[in-house]
Amino acid sequence: MTINRLLTRLATVAICVLITQFAFSQTKTITGKVTDEKGVAVQGASVSAKGSKAGTSTDVSGAFKLSVAADVNTLVISSVGYTSQDVDISGKTDVAVTLATGNASLNEIVVTGYSTARKKDLTGAVASVKAKDFNAGVISSPDQLLSGKVAGMEIINNSGQPGAATTIKIRGNSSIRAGNNPLYVVDGVPLDGRTAKPPLDLGANGLPFGPTPESNPLLYINPADIAQIDVLKDASSAAIYGSRGANGVILITTKKASSGPFRLDVGASVGAFAGYMKRHKVLDANEFRNAAKDNNLSGLDSGGSVNALDEITQHTLSQNYSVAISQGNETGKFRVSLLGSSNQGALKKTSLDKYIANISAQYYLLDKRVTLDFSLIAGHTNEHMTNVSNTAGAGGNLLAYALNWNPTVPIRNKSGLYNLNSYAIPNPVSVNDAYNDVAKVNVFLGNISATVRLFKGLDYKFLYAINNGSGTREMSMDGWISGVQPISGQGLAVLGDATLTSQTFTHTLNYKTNLTSNIILDAVAGYEYWKTDFRSSSIYATGFNTNLDQSSRTSILYTSMFQNAKTQYPLTTTVDPTVEIQSYFARVNLNFFDKYYLTGTFRADGSNKFGSDNKYGYFPSVGARWVISNEDFLKNSTVFSSLALRGSWGITGNQEFPAGAALDQYGTNGYLQFSQINVGNKTLKWEQTKSWNVGLDYSIMNNRIYGSIDFYDKNTSDLLIQTAPIQPAPAAVAFYNLPANLINRGIEFTIGASIIQGPKFTWDANFNIAYNKNKLTNFNQPPILTGQISGPSLSGATAEAIANDQPIDVYYLKPFMGFDKTTGAQIIGDNPQFSGDPNAHEIIGFSNTFRYGKFSLSFNMNGSFGFLIYNNTLNGVTPLYQLSKGENIATGQFGTGEQLATASIAASTRYLEKGDYFKMRNLTFNYSFGNTGKYLKNLNAYISATNLFVITKYTGGDPEVNVDKTNNGYPSLSIDYIPFPTPRLITVGVNFSL
Amino acid sequence: MNNKNKIKITILSLSMIAITMGCTKLNQSLNSTLTRDQTITALGANGTQLLLQTAYDDLQQAYSDPGNVFSLEEVAADECIVPTRLGDWDDNGKWRALKFHTWTADGVDVIRNQFNTLNKLNFDATNVLSFAPTKQQAAEAKFLRAIALYQLLDLYGKFPIRNPGDNLLNAPPVLAGSDAIDLIIADLNAALPDLPAVPASKAQAGQDAAKFLLMRCYLNKGAFKNPTSPTFDDADMQQVITLGTALMGAGYSYTANFFDNFSPNNSDASESIFALPNTAGKIGNPQSNIQNRWWAPLHYNQYTPLNPQAGWNGFSTVAEFYNSFSLSGTTTQTPADTLLDKRIGGRYYAGATNQSGVRPGLMIGQQYNESGAKISDRKGNFLIFDPNIDQSLKETGSTLEDKGIRIVKYVPDYSQGTITYSAPGNWLIMFRYPDVVLMVAEAKMRAATPDDAGALTLVNNLRTARGAAPLASMPLVNTTNVYDPTTLLAERGRELYWECVRRTDLIRFGVYLISWAYKPTDDAHYILFPLPSDAVAANPNLKQNTGY
Repeated sequence: MTINRLLTRLATVAICVLITQFAFSQTKTITGKVTDEKGVAVQGASVSAKGSKAGTSTDVSGAFKLSVAADVNTLVISSVGYTSQDVDISGKTDVAVTLATGNASLNEIVVTGYSTARKKDLTGAVASVKAKDFNAGVISSPDQLLSGKVAGMEIINNSGQPGAATTIKIRGNSSIRAGNNPLYVVDGVPLDGRTAKPPLDLGANGLPFGPTPESNPLLYINPADIAQIDVLKDASSAAIYGSRGANGVILITTKKASSGPFRLDVGASVGAFAGYMKRHKVLDANEFRNAAKDNNLSGLDSGGSVNALDEITQHTLSQNYSVAISQGNETGKFRVSLLGSSNQGALKKTSLDKYIANISAQYYLLDKRVTLDFSLIAGHTNEHMTNVSNTAGAGGNLLAYALNWNPTVPIRNKSGLYNLNSYAIPNPVSVNDAYNDVAKVNVFLGNISATVRLFKGLDYKFLYAINNGSGTREMSMDGWISGVQPISGQGLAVLGDATLTSQTFTHTLNYKTNLTSNIILDAVAGYEYWKTDFRSSSIYATGFNTNLDQSSRTSILYTSMFQNAKTQYPLTTTVDPTVEIQSYFARVNLNFFDKYYLTGTFRADGSNKFGSDNKYGYFPSVGARWVISNEDFLKNSTVFSSLALRGSWGITGNQEFPAGAALDQYGTNGYLQFSQINVGNKTLKWEQTKSWNVGLDYSIMNNRIYGSIDFYDKNTSDLLIQTAPIQPAPAAVAFYNLPANLINRGIEFTIGASIIQGPKFTWDANFNIAYNKNKLTNFNQPPILTGQISGPSLSGATAEAIANDQPIDVYYLKPFMGFDKTTGAQIIGDNPQFSGDPNAHEIIGFSNTFRYGKFSLSFNMNGSFGFLIYNNTLNGVTPLYQLSKGENIATGQFGTGEQLATASIAASTRYLEKGDYFKMRNLTFNYSFGNTGKYLKNLNAYISATNLFVITKYTGGDPEVNVDKTNNGYPSLSIDYIPFPTPRLITVGVNFSL
Repeated sequence: MNNKNKIKITILSLSMIAITMGCTKLNQSLNSTLTRDQTITALGANGTQLLLQTAYDDLQQAYSDPGNVFSLEEVAADECIVPTRLGDWDDNGKWRALKFHTWTADGVDVIRNQFNTLNKLNFDATNVLSFAPTKQQAAEAKFLRAIALYQLLDLYGKFPIRNPGDNLLNAPPVLAGSDAIDLIIADLNAALPDLPAVPASKAQAGQDAAKFLLMRCYLNKGAFKNPTSPTFDDADMQQVITLGTALMGAGYSYTANFFDNFSPNNSDASESIFALPNTAGKIGNPQSNIQNRWWAPLHYNQYTPLNPQAGWNGFSTVAEFYNSFSLSGTTTQTPADTLLDKRIGGRYYAGATNQSGVRPGLMIGQQYNESGAKISDRKGNFLIFDPNIDQSLKETGSTLEDKGIRIVKYVPDYSQGTITYSAPGNWLIMFRYPDVVLMVAEAKMRAATPDDAGALTLVNNLRTARGAAPLASMPLVNTTNVYDPTTLLAERGRELYWECVRRTDLIRFGVYLISWAYKPTDDAHYILFPLPSDAVAANPNLKQNTGY
């Protein structure tokens, strides 16, 4: 397809449209202007005549002109982000309408994928969160805006590294592999889940370090640019995204330019580290001394008093500045925003600097029949990391060094040099000092779209988007450190780069009409082509001449003199197979009398990832809504303001497996070697999730109390499983569609209330709770072991399994049966047993906002319940036994019945603990000055605290923990292994407009 | 709705489809890997050689690191033991399970992993055959596959086998017992004439290596057919003798110093028939990990620059094996060179002892560093390797680090200076000449007309070369005591300890299931390891071994 051909066809169509005439009956003409609460014109608001087919939308100045039948008395005005409003026009020819942003009302507009809908017209389960409800505080990526806000959506921070990826689960796990994150769609453009940060897996090169955490794919979206986020949870909503919809879809809508005079919005904030919310506690110097004395361990007291974690903690201020300008007139409008932020991690030498510019504009051509939209995000990130990885053995993790460091050994000796190690534990401060790891990524995310109003009700839209990221990585570790094999004495340097390019072409037709005065049709159909490419390369070297002695160091990094290395290993290049998806989709909504709604959705996805026998997948769904409160018998109810019953059924897919998995592949690891690395499977296809959802939306007492309740059942079949192929076979993995079922069933309940609505004082509260349980069935094979337990002497131990009639990643451990009363040795059964569920059964979100005059106070709490955590940190890093090696241990290890003389390390149910927690995620105190002086408008000042405290009985660190302990490609869940500790942050900020 | 609109929508929709259809055929393009067809055309004849190299590299995976096939052949046998030292060497209980013969299906990761590692070699070698190999390449590939099949048959009692080019999604047939061993022998005999008579190096398969493997096949044929009570056909024994006699005339000779066979400069050792290469200074020996052969047994403090990470303080041997050398008393740091049997070690070895104090061989008693000073353990006790290991294999107490006689057979390569062990130059010896001699001796004794005297002569010649006194008489085995020093089994132990043959030997000599150090008499099903249950689930032709 070429642009020329496209334009030719468009022109033809446009001419057809222009020569068309419409016949009118007796009409009247209404004009009006739509503004928001601040008096700013709302452009693009939909204006329709209730009970007729007539409709239009507002222009740049918020004005509209509409001819309606003489008997029409009500207009319905709606727009994304605003409450829909009915306007009485009887006897009027001109109306002024003020749209309210805000209330969690059923009238608000939600983004449904390729179009929008009023929430009250939805047949599926969609949660919508507006900017004003976002979490405040330090936000390094947009998903943090949503913690605790959406029922059934669990967001787990995988790492405290600023900007690291999170695990997001919507309605439980629907896959037994990794790749359970939802699909992100930004302004209609689906994102690749990867980033251009070059991956670095030193463990693969035989070094004691594991892979560093991945970046969050949403890092390049300025949180201040987001207008709203919609979460598609059930099949009726997500089926429009077909083979990528099974894990839910998160639609991010950015702020658009508004018409009107030049406007400048400014925000600035400064954040400070205020201690760790909860840390894995180890003995302090005195406790350690006493423990050594009590156990007759000599030579362990070096006389000092050190808190090693504090020694590698920094207290640097984070800063965040954002500016946005916008202006618009009759022919177009634009918005430019800039973000400059520097997020400091709690650990020394960790930070994330972000610079993001976003330019978006909208122009009208051909008598406003054509709207041209474009936006360009240009971002640069500079990420500093330290060596905290998920999978390192204890020999390669800075935090393990800090936990194990003998607290009586001073960090530095009298001459100011580091005490390089203590009992085989490298000095954590020296390792942090010697380790440098910087990733720089540039991202351009551009999209351009043209919308052509072919005739009233029918819009054609073409969208092209390109997302290009390129990154470099420079990592080095000086040779002067001691005790880190094989780096000590020779040094190590790695250079890496990566590029990620994805492109989207979308054609859509939106058609909206009143078939009769009481039946409204709203349909969308389209075609989409999506393509993505990723490449990365890395080179590493060892044996440098400099920085081999801590007393004579230079600031020149090995990465700046790479050629000095004694040994350079060959450059390794990986170019992933191109992924292409070609899709046809359609959705039809029918509204009968505002009482009965029907939605049918269909998507056909063709993907080159699938095997040649299964290139196309088909994803249908249907949904219905019955607005009971519009029935006569409930119309005059004084209790229900609204009441509606929803039901939906549909099929969605998951195609998150590596491209190329369907083909035999041969690859090379070096000049003299070539081998088959993948076993092809021509029949490979997407994983299929059939789900139904029944929901009830309610609002009572004049909308003072509102919410919904949903029941769902998701049944995933054709489970994609990565396993060793049937032997004899290459050491490759092979992907199969396993004939088994993964069932997720659950309930979600949300309630919101305006508890107090006084003239001066208001109190609004929202609460949501979701219950989910999952189970694998028809899985006719022995348990697959996953959840690697790390630590010395723990090789070959795993904590979890994928097993029939068990929840995903069920704990599968040898039972711990207490300590021998005489010897104090732990007694552990011989054979592993199913020992509990790592999946949270209940997740809760609770938020409150109090306003008194210009003051407001809001807080947001969330929690997870009904799951167990495997405390691998205690098991593998700080068990009692380590004391005998002169290493520090966790508190609480004495008096358990275990004796140091017989203490040992073995994985067992001993290290399973209840993970239930309730966390104060955010508390914000805001003062709204309003308009100050002649120029300053909407001045706000706030102070906000993030991760204030957590209520839990878990004895380790933050119970919101999910360190990736994947085994042979099978994911793990809820394993705690020396994660980056969760910092508490205090932010002070202002924002205002000019 | 008027008709014109409907028509327009229809036209528009159709034109939309016309615009967009056929944008892409959705063909998968591989960008840094090749499809099979591309591999054949792009690499040509050279590609076959690269695929063959992959099969050679697979051997390193299986054999170099003591945590792989070594663990199954040695830890599960009588000369190697890995005691749990409180928090160290628990490793999910696998070392105890291997020693006590209490493993279960999937309970010990090594058992599962080696099935896959060996089958990768099985596959990669077979795959060479589907890429138009030269005659010699095909012969080398068949030889490499024979190693994999032999080892699989030995460990698991059966192996799956594919024809070149088979669809890998289909379950392949499985061979066991005499079908299996016959296939290996036929393959080797077919390959032999096409292998080079004089290979480019010990790292290349040659006719001698094939003859050696054939000897093993014929010798163990009876055990593969009936592992619990092997019987030996005279024809097979005659084959062993014939092949062995040929090899004994092929120019191999005993090295003056036993440990030269295992030194960092052993690439041309005169006893080496087939070996896996490494290059000193090349950390790019990543698949090898041969340094773990000494890293695993050495104590944490046994190389000053790396202390306390100079060793992992694990793999040990038992006093019974030490005593089978029939020494009166223990070796000391300065054993008189008149001390019999150099294979027990304890002597100064240039390049090692002057670097770290390590004296290759069986290490017992006080250990010294490079300057002759006594080494201490991490608790401050003098490091005195103590033969007495707790019967539970769970060491506690203040001297737990010192328990166990250690064996360092591969001489540590300290040529990388004070930095690291990770780039050693030692080649891993797969097939060694004394094994030929011992196999011939055994075949002579097992022949229909036993030639015990001939066998004794061969063994005594070997003993003389090792500085050990000749034996007056030598039965095959003492069926109540595997350590009885006068037997051929014990002689094999003294010569070939920690060379991945011990479990096979014990089975062939019929004593694998009897009681020996730390292991009680056990059930017959432990004679074979269990198959990984996912492999059984994936292949209906692969039946789990009895008893698991």
